Amino acid sequence: MTAENQIKDTVTQNDVVLFMKGTKTMPQCGFSSRVAGVLNFMGIEFQDVNVLADDGIRQGIKDYSDWPTIPQLYVKGEFVGGCDIITEMTLSGELDTLLSDKGISFDKDAAEKIREANG
Amino acid sequence: MRIDTQIHARLTDALAPESLDVQNESAKHAGHAGDDGSGESHFHVTIKAASLDDLSRIGRHRAIHDAIGKDLMGRIHALGITVL
Repeated sequence: MTAENQIKDTVTQNDVVLFMKGTKTMPQCGFSSRVAGVLNFMGIEFQDVNVLADDGIRQGIKDYSDWPTIPQLYVKGEFVGGCDIITEMTLSGELDTLLSDKGISFDKDAAEKIREANG
Repeated sequence: MRIDTQIHARLTDALAPESLDVQNESAKHAGHAGDDGSGESHFHVTIKAASLDDLSRIGRHRAIHDAIGKDLMGRIHALGITVL
């Protein structure tokens, strides 16, 4: 299967997917670690894809989204953003809205705690 | 030419920002993944530009990536972006 098809299958078969360096339990880059940490803390179920394990996916995901950097978060097949965008959306509450709109369950109290701690 | 200088010049040309700050943060990431020893691996851009106002979050970042150019983006490991 081509990298593009593999990526398409992954983002359509899983509600929330994070393409990252390392894994959700062992991230290997501070930016990937930050986004995985937010998702974990908010109790969001997500599929992690370690781009360091596959060069085809590592380049393929950049072409797929026309986005030059990792991590990349997808919700219901749609590219949401990288580390800065996810951080901003978490603090502004936009991420809560997006997840609610898409029917993804998450811990609202945990999201509030992140905002209180970074307010 | 230094990479931060080039990023600054390209963003200035493309986006006519009201304010622009480009920081080389590579020293903070020395020894981490992505540090290639060049001292020019990690950068952070803080920008305010009317040309970005009407764009979505993703649109703003794309406009900044495009302005910096694939060649420069390909030479650096990380680019943090704050749009004011």
